[in-house]
Formats: sequence, C-alpha cells, structure tokens
Amino acid sequence: MELPDRKNVITLLHGAGGTYMHSLIRDVFLKLNDGFGEVGLEMMDDAAVVNGIVFTTDSFVIRPIFFRGGDIGRLSVSGTVNDIAMMGGDPQALSLGVVLEEGFPKDMLEKIVESIKKTAEEANVHVVTGDTKVMERGNLDKIVINTAGIGTRPRQLDHNIETLRKSRQPSRWLVPTNLRDGDKIVVTGTLGDHAIAVLSSREGVGFESNVMSDVAPLNKMIMNLLEVGGIADAKDPTRGGLADLLQDWSEKSGLGIFIRESDIPVKDEVRAAVEFLGMDVLELGNEGKAVLAVSPEYVKDVMDALHSDPLGKDATIIGEVRKDLEGVIMETVVGGNRYVGRPLGDPVPRIC
Amino acid sequence: MKSFRITASGIVQGVGFRPFVFRTALKSGVSGFVRNLSGSEVEIVIQGSQDSISKFFSLFFLNLPPQSRLEQITITPLEGDILQGFKILKSEKMRYEASQIPPDFSVCSECIREVLDPGNRRYRYPFNSCVNCGPRFSMMRKVPYDRENTAMVEFPLCDECAQEYNDPDNERRFDAQGISCPKCGPRLYIEDMRGNRLEGDPIKLAGKLLTEGKIIAIKGIGGFHIACDPFDDDVVLTLRARKGRPSKPFAVMSISSDIISNFAEINPLEKDILESPERPIVLLKKREDSPISKHVSPGLDREGFFLYYTPLHYMLLSEVKGNTLVMTSANRHGYPMCTTESCVKEKLSGIVDYMLYHDREIVNRVDDSVIKFAGNRLHILRRGRGYAPLWIRMKSKFKTPAIALGAELQNAGALMFDDKVILTQYVGDTDKLENLQEMEKMLNFLMSTYDVRPRVILVDKNPGYQTRYVANRLSEKFSAEIVEVQHHFAHALSVAADHGSDEGVAIAIDGVGYGDDGNAWGGEILLFTGSEYERSYHLKYVPYPGGDVNALRPRRMLAIFLSQVMTLEEAGKIAGLNENEVIMLRSSLRGNRIYTSSTGRFLDAVSAFLGVCDRRTYEGEPAIRLEASASNGKLLDLDIPVVGNEIDTLKAFEWLISEEGKVNDIALTVQYRLGEALAKAALKLNPQVILVSGGAAVNEYILRGLRENSEGIEVITPRRVPSNDGGIALGQAHYLLQRDRAN
Ligand SMILES: [Fe+3]
Ligand SMILES: [Mg+2]
Ligand SMILES: [Zn+2]
Ligand SMILES: [Zn+2]
Repeated sequence: MELPDRKNVITLLHGAGGTYMHSLIRDVFLKLNDGFGEVGLEMMDDAAVVNGIVFTTDSFVIRPIFFRGGDIGRLSVSGTVNDIAMMGGDPQALSLGVVLEEGFPKDMLEKIVESIKKTAEEANVHVVTGDTKVMERGNLDKIVINTAGIGTRPRQLDHNIETLRKSRQPSRWLVPTNLRDGDKIVVTGTLGDHAIAVLSSREGVGFESNVMSDVAPLNKMIMNLLEVGGIADAKDPTRGGLADLLQDWSEKSGLGIFIRESDIPVKDEVRAAVEFLGMDVLELGNEGKAVLAVSPEYVKDVMDALHSDPLGKDATIIGEVRKDLEGVIMETVVGGNRYVGRPLGDPVPRIC
Repeated sequence: MKSFRITASGIVQGVGFRPFVFRTALKSGVSGFVRNLSGSEVEIVIQGSQDSISKFFSLFFLNLPPQSRLEQITITPLEGDILQGFKILKSEKMRYEASQIPPDFSVCSECIREVLDPGNRRYRYPFNSCVNCGPRFSMMRKVPYDRENTAMVEFPLCDECAQEYNDPDNERRFDAQGISCPKCGPRLYIEDMRGNRLEGDPIKLAGKLLTEGKIIAIKGIGGFHIACDPFDDDVVLTLRARKGRPSKPFAVMSISSDIISNFAEINPLEKDILESPERPIVLLKKREDSPISKHVSPGLDREGFFLYYTPLHYMLLSEVKGNTLVMTSANRHGYPMCTTESCVKEKLSGIVDYMLYHDREIVNRVDDSVIKFAGNRLHILRRGRGYAPLWIRMKSKFKTPAIALGAELQNAGALMFDDKVILTQYVGDTDKLENLQEMEKMLNFLMSTYDVRPRVILVDKNPGYQTRYVANRLSEKFSAEIVEVQHHFAHALSVAADHGSDEGVAIAIDGVGYGDDGNAWGGEILLFTGSEYERSYHLKYVPYPGGDVNALRPRRMLAIFLSQVMTLEEAGKIAGLNENEVIMLRSSLRGNRIYTSSTGRFLDAVSAFLGVCDRRTYEGEPAIRLEASASNGKLLDLDIPVVGNEIDTLKAFEWLISEEGKVNDIALTVQYRLGEALAKAALKLNPQVILVSGGAAVNEYILRGLRENSEGIEVITPRRVPSNDGGIALGQAHYLLQRDRAN
C-alpha cells in the first residue's frame, strides 16, 4: 500500500490548516519575512497592513464548483473580503486571477463571474484588475481562482480601538495581542455548515442534506460591531476551523482560552452528519462566520447588534479568555475538560 | 561491644516495622535506635555484645511484620559512642536507598473483632485500624509514613490511644501511625443532598435507607462509592438512569466469600485474591440462579465482586439484606471518582439521595483494583488500591531517571530510576483534563518522594494524545528529552519487562494504536530485539475512514469489513445502515487515507453482526459482550488464513454470512479461530515463548485458541500490570532501558 511520505513531499495535509500547514509556513514561507509593514508577514494573520492599507490574498479550489448555498465565485469574493474585515479594514477593491483547465464550459465560467459580481455588490467592493490563464487538460482540476484585495482604515475601527483603551493598550488593528483576561469568545453563527454542504453536494457521493453553505461577505456586519465597540479581535474560522483559530489566539496572546462545547452552535443536521462521518466540528472550515474576542463590558451590546443582523442571528458566547489557563481548554458535553489542539490533518484515532 | 548500622528498604514504612525493631531490640538486649528515612527506608543502629547482636538478627529475620517486604538490607559495622537504651527516633530527611510507599490495606480480622465486641472501647468504630491494616497511600501527603505526614494529623491521639501508641508491649498499636478511636478519630455523618444532617447512628440510618431502595454516596479510602440494593431491578435501573450509564457493569461488595458463592462460582485462586489484603474486585462467573439483578452487569457472564475492606463497609453490609451492596465508583459520567464532599454535592446531586461521609481527607485518589482469571491465569484489568504505587524491579538500571506517560484511555504513568519502575495508580482516561492533571500530580508526588529529576519523558507515538501537553511541560521544566514509543511495541515490552526478556515474539491484540505508517494498528505480531522491532504479521488492513467514529459505531465498522467482500450497498443493508448513511460512508471511503489492523474493531464488527452489541457505552463493550456471548459455545470449522504478512480476517466475514448456527457457537468460533490464526503466524517466527498483550489479551477464547495451537510453546500474558493501556507505561520504561543499553 502506498503511503504518503509526510516529511519530504507536500501532501494534502499541508493544505488542510492545522499542524502540517503551520510547520510548512514556518519552515518555508516565513523565510520571506523581512519585517516590512505595520502588520507584516511575521504576524501570520489574515491580512497585512502596509502604509495604512489592509492587503491580503487567497486562492480558491473547491469540489464541486457549485454547491448547496454557494459556488467558487461567491467564495473567492467572500474569502478575501472577510480577511480584510477581520483586520478591521474596510474592503475597497479586488483583483481576480483565474486559471482554467482546457475544455472548461464557457457558460459555467459566466455563471461564476455573475456570482462574483453579485457578491461584490453585496460587499460593496469592486473588481478592478485581473488575469486569466488556461492550462492543458489534466494539468489542473477545472478551475482555480485567486483574489487579492485592499481595504482602508474606517473611522469605525478608530472608535472601536478607543473603546478598548479603557481596559488595555490595544494595537491599532484587530490582532490577537489585543486579547485580555476575561474577554468573551463569541461565534457569530452555527459551525460546520459550509463543510457539510460542500461534502453533501459532491458528485457520486453526495448525501441527502438540507444544509446550505454559509459563504458570505461579513464586512458590513463587522463594521456595525466596530461601531458598538469592545471588539478586541475578529477572525474567520476557515480551514482548520475553530480549533486552529483559538490555538492561534492563545499562542499569539500568551493567554489561555476556555470554551464550553455545549454552547457552540451547531445545526442538528450538521451534527448528525459530522458525527457519522467521523469529523470534528471544531476543525471544519466555515466561510461566513467570525469568531470575536469581546471586552466583557461591551458583550451585551455586541450580542444585541449581532442578533439583529441575519448573518449573526445565531451568535453565541462560547467561552472566555483566561490568563490562569494554558492553551485552549474545552468543557465537553460527555463530561470533563480537554485540551483542544491544532488539527492534525487526518483524523488521528485515539479510542483504543 | 559491637555496633552496626542497618538500612532496610522495600515495604518497611507503614507496616509496623519500627515497633517490631524496637521489640526485637528489647528482647535481644541491644541498645541503639530506629528511624524512618525520607526515601521510605528505615535505618537501625544497634550496639551490644556478640550474643545480643546475633540474637537480634535471628529474631529480626524470623519475625518480620506480615505486610512488610524486605528488598534490600545493608549492614555496616560502626565505631562509636556507647548508646543508652533503645529509642524510636524522629524521622530523618536523609536517604540511602529508596523504599516503597505502602499501599492501602484492608481492615484486618483482629480490628473487625474489636469493632464487633461490645466490651471493647472501639466497639462499632468505623475507622479502626492497627499496625497491620488500614489506609496508607491514600492518606499520605508525603513520605516518610509518619502521622504528621498523613491526613491523620488532624486527629491528635487521645490519652488512651497515646498510651497504646507508646506501649512497646502493645503489638498492634505501639508506634502505629494511623490509629485512632471513637474519642479522637474521624467522625461519620449522613446527610441528604440539601445538606440536612440526619440524627442517629449514620451506619444504621444508611442501612435502613439502602434497604428502602435509596441510593447513597459513601466515602471510603481512596474515594466515594455509590451504593444501592443489588437485588432490586428498579433500584439498579434508577441508578443507571440517573447516572446515564446504560450498561457499564457495577461492582458488588459483600461481607464474605461464602455469601458471594451464592451469586457466582469461585475457584480457590479467585477466593485467595478476593480475601487478600489488597481486596480487588474480581470478575467471577455468574451463577444461573443468582438473585442479583441482571441489570447490575447486563449482557455479561461475569460480575465484579469484592469484599469489605473497612470496618465501615463491614458494619454497613451487616445492616442490609443479603449483606451485599452495589458499590460503584462515585463519579459523574466522564469525571473522575469524587474524593471530597463538595464534589459529591456538585457532581452527584440528582444521582444520589444521601451522602455518608467522614472528616478524614482523601489525599490521593485510588480506585478499586480489578482482577480477572482467564484460563486459570491472573489478569490485572485495573491496578489501583492495594497494588499501587508498589514498584516493579527491572533486570538492569536506568541510565537516568525518567517518566513514562502511557497512552490515553485507562491510563497510568510511571516514574523510573535505578532499577525501579513505579507506576501510578490507575488514573482513568487522560483524554479528560481532570485525569491528566491527576496523573501529573501523582508523578510530581513520586518525583518529590524519591527526589529525582527525569531526563527523559516517554510518550506514545500518537500525536493526538492529550499526554503530549504534559510531556511538553515536563520536558521544558526538566530539560528532558521526549522519546516516542510505538503503542504496540510498548504493549509487547510490557510483557517482556514482566518476564525479563530482551528479545522475542510478541502478539499485540488491541483496540487502536498509532502505527509507524500513520495507520491505526491493533493486531500485530512483532519480532523484537532490544529496542528494535519488525512488524512481521498483522491483521488485514481495512479502511478506517473517520477514525474513532468506527469505535463508537460498531455497525459502521461492520459495513466497512463487509464492503471488502461485497458491494457497499449489500454491506450497508446487512449492517443495518440506512440509505443516507451508506452514501455518507461511501463519501468517507472515497477520500480515505487511513487503514486499520485493529483486533478490537474486528471483534466489534463481529459483535454487531451477531446482534450481540451494536453500541459502545463503555470501553470495549462490544468485544466484552461478544466474549460473554460465547459462553458454553462449541467450536465450529473456520479457517482464518495467514496470507503474506496479513491475517485474513475477511474470511471470517465470508463465513459469518453463510453460517447459520447458534450465536454462542459462532461467537466462540470466531474468537478461538482468531487466536489460532495468530498462533500460526507467530510460530513461523520460531519463538521460544509467545508474549501476548493488548486490550484483547484478556479474552478467554482468543487465549484458548492461542494456547491450544501454539504447539507446546508457552503463551505468556502480563502478570503485574494490565495488558490494556494501563500497562503501556511499563512497556515504555522497558523500551528506554533497552535503548540505552544498546547505545
Ligand atoms: Fe492499547
Ligand atoms: Mg483579526
Ligand atoms: Zn488491624
Ligand atoms: Zn483515641
């Protein structure tokens, strides 16, 4: 049986978020870091900040291209818009790079572009430049899209940072070092929807499900929250999911994080599928959710604002930042607590 | 005049050793002193004529205290002053040789006699103990075992007790650190869950309430139990419902082996163990006509019995019908057993109706030990009270002190130094932070007791185990090297260590452990020399998409096995999956990257196929119930062949589909034939003996299949540690020893 050599070649695990990807980035890409930028490469955050401009890029591959609740076009706009928003930036313009496999149906491409247009309008951003390449049949699976985006510093962010000053000395942007003991951890909606929607839409192995992907641009919602204030950091739980995100926060802030499994919002149908498939909802990617660290005196107002927004109607407080703990610890529904580590990629069986 | 210094190590503290030396000195006429040293050893200095000295030594070696164990004794001649009289001195901080921490002993028969004697001042005293009996490890804060280092420090001796303590002629109480009486000792209370104390004799009240069908938390030695009437179905089912524990068996405590023999068959080996001072739970074959509710251990052919081990238990059992109670560890699902009243109030309200407790602190949580005899051989399933933390001596010495963190479920850790491995007591599943912290606390206790700093931290190869967090912390704290050991090699080495072998052939039959190739191993035949091994044979690889979900859903695992010999649709139908589940499984299988050779999963799938058990509510349930279902079965024809380096378990499923015999015959055949196949494969390696370990190594029928087909080659299982993951730490220790020797 052929087994992947996990040390010397790139495997799918290296792209899955979690431990393997982190070591790849650290070992290989971080060599590019030269300290440039207000928020630079060394921060390994969702976006960088250069001369007051928030800047980020992301590539998108997904099977199937059209899935319940979304498609690759909507995904490539939302992904980049959200990365800018999670830094506190106001997204302005996008670039669009498309690599196509020879033989790709033109009407399908038009549908994708239509979806890009609609999503960009929804997010109030503009595609201002682009590039197209075609590769020989078989050298690429259908389509790869890359978007890069820039955002400006909105006055809402200034206000938000001002509100944080009462309890800490914050950075100028939404970064993990802003976290403080006692901050509440909020997720803005149910987890796992996107992953299950995509899986269940897969050709040949698609299973029955009504779950829709949550893919959506979150910049307007975040902007409203910054208006309320008290947002120490925001981050979207995409690849690697909540587990990877919280581990990141804990490592970069040097603080512990405690969460309660029973408070994590998950749709019943998602839970059932996740369980049967042997997946961990904490590790699944989401494309229309944010996780927030909120200063406790603002949490009520933030929750109210979320609940009045359709994208945040299922928002829940799932835990808090704790300086007396090390790492990320979860109180489980079966009883007892456990550490939540970075995803290891493939499920690693532990039950004897 | 001659003088000698004697240092004795082994089990010499907490067993009446100093008073014994004192009396021996008086009888032989030597002067000098005796004292405890901090490494849990005892130092004796004697001075006297040639005659009195030789008298001392002969009396000494003839009459050693019953619970003591002398492992090492050094005698050196001394020059020195004339000593006057013989004294027991205060304990010393220094140490020469490390010695054993005494485990907890059950109450002795003399102490029970006193408790039952209306003329005795300890009549009906629930905490009676003497130099030969009572709690030790569970109430120790540190060594040496002196009263001020135990939870008994809160209970200063009254005049009468002090007199006994100071009277060298009082064989059972002179210098006995744990003694007390109704006047000066701990007190017993009973209260309801709102905190209202009940007036009257707590034991009589508890007995009455239990007889009425109430459920009561009872504070014991190493933790709380939950007690209830074992004869009443409704009561047992109520407890099951309240605990959310549908079928995990409850242990049953009784007042004598005679009474237990009405409920179960007891052979002489089992009787000895039942009555030993360690008082473990022994899994006995149920009698058909047993009046105990079938809900106590549903679906099993064995029931766990143990005898009282404190006067409190004895008196309580005397109050209830049949002198027998369910006594299961008091924990909420997923949490460790409670050791404090506040834990009971917080975690068990809604489960128990009352709490019977005392005001002596439980310092170290120690669970009841569990023993099973399979094929007349003893298997430790859980190594707790009575056994831990006794050490295991190895054939050679460790280069540096080290720590082993075991695996993850039913785990125990270990500290090792010199030639000793000290396993912690069973701490439970360390995938729970509470248990992980308990293990770390125990290891810290052992490190400070023996004053050693580990240079190596041994962990399982599995990157997902929670013990990794402890490993990282300890490695940083002690600048210690982290060393990974493959799970099944550790299983193999746990038997090897037990029998002192450095090479051989080992069969690891197990649930799942992280393999060198990233797959989920669990049915492995290893050929090893020192710290190197070759994986010679293994159960046939089958896909393991989703990992742990397959352990939780035996029918899913069954469908995967069957899908290897038929279409997934047909497989799903036989396994009882619905259409959508079949599609989801197909989706999982398509992206699958991980395979398993697990014995446990094979047994789970067979269990599900036979309709014996398709839900896992406790560890190993489907496999354990499959074993139970084979009771009185007979052996049918089935060949599980060895093809290349794989044992072709799929043949068993092809056979199962076509076979229409009785469930017990089929169940027995599959397990026995698996053992036979493993023996066939192992024999190809020309073994001298066959070492067997792993969670399934306590399965009667697999062992029988192995033993009856090993062509006279001896088949050996671990004796001193569990063959389940509770013994992994010992295997890891043995690995380090072998690795360092090779270097
Ligand atoms: Fe194991
Ligand atoms: Mg951010
Ligand atoms: Zn006694
Ligand atoms: Zn007294």
